[in-house]
Amino acid sequence: MSAPRRNLPFRFIGKRILQAVLTILGIAIINFFLLQLAPGDAAEALAGEAGTADAGYLANLRREFGLDRPLWEQLATFLMRIATFNLGYSFRYGETISTLILSRLPATLLLMATSIVIALVIGILFGVTAARYFNRLPDRLISLVALLFYATPPFWIGLMMILVFSVWLGWAPTGGMRDITAPDGGIAGVFDIARHLALPALTQAFFYLAIYTRLVRAGMLEVLSLDYIRVARAKGISEQRVAYRHALRNAVLPLVTVVGTNIGGFLGGAVLTETVFSWPGIGRLMFDAMLQRDLNLLLSILVLSSVFVVIANLAVDLIYPVINPTVELR
Amino acid sequence: MSAPLLSIADLKVRIRGNPQARLLRGVSLSIDRGETLAVVGESGCGKSLTSLAVMGLLPDGLEKSGGVIRFDGADLPVTDNEAMRKVRGRRIGMVFQEPMAALNPVFSIGDQVAEVIHEHEAVSHAAAMARVVDLLTQVQLPEPARIIHEYPHRLSGGQRQRVVIAMALACRPDLLIADEPTTALDVTVQAQIMRLLHDLQDDMGIAILLITHNLGLVAQMADRVAVMYAGRKVEEATTRMLFAAPQHPYTRGLLAATPRPGRRRPGEPPLTEIPGVVPAITEMPSGCRFRPRCMLASDICALEDPPFVDGVACHRAVSRELVP
Amino acid sequence: MRSISFILRHWTTALGILLLAAVILMALTAHLVFPGDPYDMVGAPLTWPGESADTLLGTDSLGRDMAAGLFYGARVSLLVGFASALVAAIVGVLVGAFAGYYGGWTDDVLMRITELFQTTPQFMLALAVVAVLGPSVTVIILSLSAVSWPAVARLVRGEFMVMRERAFVHGCVVAGMSDLRIIFAQILPNVLPVIIVMSTILVATAILMESALSFLGFGDPNVLTWGTMIGMGRGQLRDAWYIIAIPGVALLLTALALNLVGEGLNDALNPRLKQRKG
Repeated sequence: MSAPRRNLPFRFIGKRILQAVLTILGIAIINFFLLQLAPGDAAEALAGEAGTADAGYLANLRREFGLDRPLWEQLATFLMRIATFNLGYSFRYGETISTLILSRLPATLLLMATSIVIALVIGILFGVTAARYFNRLPDRLISLVALLFYATPPFWIGLMMILVFSVWLGWAPTGGMRDITAPDGGIAGVFDIARHLALPALTQAFFYLAIYTRLVRAGMLEVLSLDYIRVARAKGISEQRVAYRHALRNAVLPLVTVVGTNIGGFLGGAVLTETVFSWPGIGRLMFDAMLQRDLNLLLSILVLSSVFVVIANLAVDLIYPVINPTVELR
Repeated sequence: MSAPLLSIADLKVRIRGNPQARLLRGVSLSIDRGETLAVVGESGCGKSLTSLAVMGLLPDGLEKSGGVIRFDGADLPVTDNEAMRKVRGRRIGMVFQEPMAALNPVFSIGDQVAEVIHEHEAVSHAAAMARVVDLLTQVQLPEPARIIHEYPHRLSGGQRQRVVIAMALACRPDLLIADEPTTALDVTVQAQIMRLLHDLQDDMGIAILLITHNLGLVAQMADRVAVMYAGRKVEEATTRMLFAAPQHPYTRGLLAATPRPGRRRPGEPPLTEIPGVVPAITEMPSGCRFRPRCMLASDICALEDPPFVDGVACHRAVSRELVP
Repeated sequence: MRSISFILRHWTTALGILLLAAVILMALTAHLVFPGDPYDMVGAPLTWPGESADTLLGTDSLGRDMAAGLFYGARVSLLVGFASALVAAIVGVLVGAFAGYYGGWTDDVLMRITELFQTTPQFMLALAVVAVLGPSVTVIILSLSAVSWPAVARLVRGEFMVMRERAFVHGCVVAGMSDLRIIFAQILPNVLPVIIVMSTILVATAILMESALSFLGFGDPNVLTWGTMIGMGRGQLRDAWYIIAIPGVALLLTALALNLVGEGLNDALNPRLKQRKG
């Protein structure tokens, strides 16, 4: 059934990894200069209100950043700290910032993965249906829904969903990731998290669902007019199979790249969703950092999120040739 | 005399919701088992449309508005997609013009050929794959055991057309519709593919409906020829008769525009082409549709569409000119 | 008769124009219809819409007029939306035009930089800029343009790469026209339709992002925005959900209007796409 998979040439992988490293370097430099824009001493800005209580923290920051040194030396120190994951210490949370962020990451990843899956499954279903009923009622309805989802502020959808499904109907909790009374593990524990996950994941999914619906619809319309679809029909294959096997496979491949570029969007959206639903991920952490004016924590989250996006895109680039046999690697 | 394998009677196709836009105006054709019928004509004459109508695969926006298509003694339910699925690929195979675009880029060759077998027969995947290897051998592809794992973009145009032919023949159909099967290919490859089709026909005893504008192919392959112009059949004859004594001025024009090496006698005029083009569907002339391009046209030609009698639809056909 | 059928065929565009005109009208007349400060208390707190003739859309938890907030909020939304889209379009066009026209290492460098901005999660970057420079309308406009220009740059670059190969551009080169003149006087006018369509969508996105910033409490504290209204209404979700619903619908309709207008412009200005739709 499966063809012998071609091995990715090492040169291709090496080139892409080098590009990724350069991108991360660039992002770190942008962050450094962003920090330079802040009014006052960088250490004060970094510490914000979180640091004012602690003079030792301030002194610590000044030493770590070498604020008395020339700019390029400060930059070098800054980059070294990022390269070694030495992002500093948060007094408020009593943890190093890297541990803090890593401990919040799984919740965000769970939320992100769930909403990506929801957006993809519904988006593909909608897109295929719209294309098959081109310019007829189902197509019109789906396009309208997609347009509405595209134009609605996601945090507002979140609030409205809490109103309807939590306050009025009582189907889902209003926020958080698990009940205090719920068991930690086992099926009951998983179910508890799923109950909390449903609304925020849907909220996050709506906007991307709209994008994927449009993309799949356009892709399907294009592919369905191609010769090999007529050939498939001439084989006696059912319309269902022609649409979902022959056409969809080709229409959906570009979507893989799009999902890769959307990862950053999902992370940014997480700040809103996690704030609305009190979901304990890095988005919520970023919001708290904003409230406390803790620039160091804030920028650390920004840098690490960007690194995450770079890695995700790298993964997509490496996976794409494997799932798309027509891509010839250079 | 037994009934023909495929008979098309008075087939009409029009643009949906527009009764004036008649793309096929009563086409009748028939093919016996094992026979090759060539349908020739310029692009836009309706020859491909006829074959798509037989397959029940008319493009969106077109509809069959009349006529009967019978296949192997029964009516062919061309408007019933579900019923037609059992015919497509199993009883009637089809080969298209563009081999470069005819294969799905994301599935391996083996999977695509095996799909036809799986669709119509309950066989294990291993058995289907073994048959695919046999089929690829039959269409003379080198290293079939390797090719089943390849993807289309790794094959040449000629190789892809062989795959498409293997796909069309996978379930041993009774009829193969070949719509310009070699037009997109190099001349040397054209000859190979036509020889292949010819050999396969001898081996398997299938009938072939060959759609082409290339009269050279017709001379090589066909038992009989039907000439179409602007949505209807204007002449039909055995290949030998058609080439020897073409009746319709359009057929004569086609033949005069075809190079025939060694056949040109001294004094015979060189290649000539038919003046003008096929008129657009909305600008069809009254009477005989070939009239504006016809050098023999007379008053009667503007009055009525000539009936199809004695193998030709023309007021000024050679045979009729002879009989006073 | 003809114009009626035209409007029917393009009723979505017409709807978009109508909605957008309504929002613009609200923004322009805010100080006439509601002369006071929208932050002032004008009635009993938590008056439901329709309950009092003075405040048709009700009041929030501090007795402020929802309708006034809606009118003044339209100002901020449109100002931020259009201004940041304009800045983003200018930066994006400059970067994209040079990258696409010159190609080679210019393209490489410019596109690497563009990629950096695209890699960083947009909303997080906007938040960080606001955190560093402090929340004011100007900073918010800057932060939103900082995250929106890369998309314009990519689009313009692609168009310029295609245009560069056109015969008329070769003609200009042969005629000795300067690069800058070719870019801005010859190619840019041809690319403008695509940029205009994209900018419409950018305005919508910027409006939504501004509302998200102010919803989180990081909007300009001196002006009342729809996002701020939603953010302040969160506490009353249970018993006074209209405080959230009303500005939310206003946001939705504004973004919808811009998208519809964008689609209409696309149909009207890009014959290429229209053809492909068949």
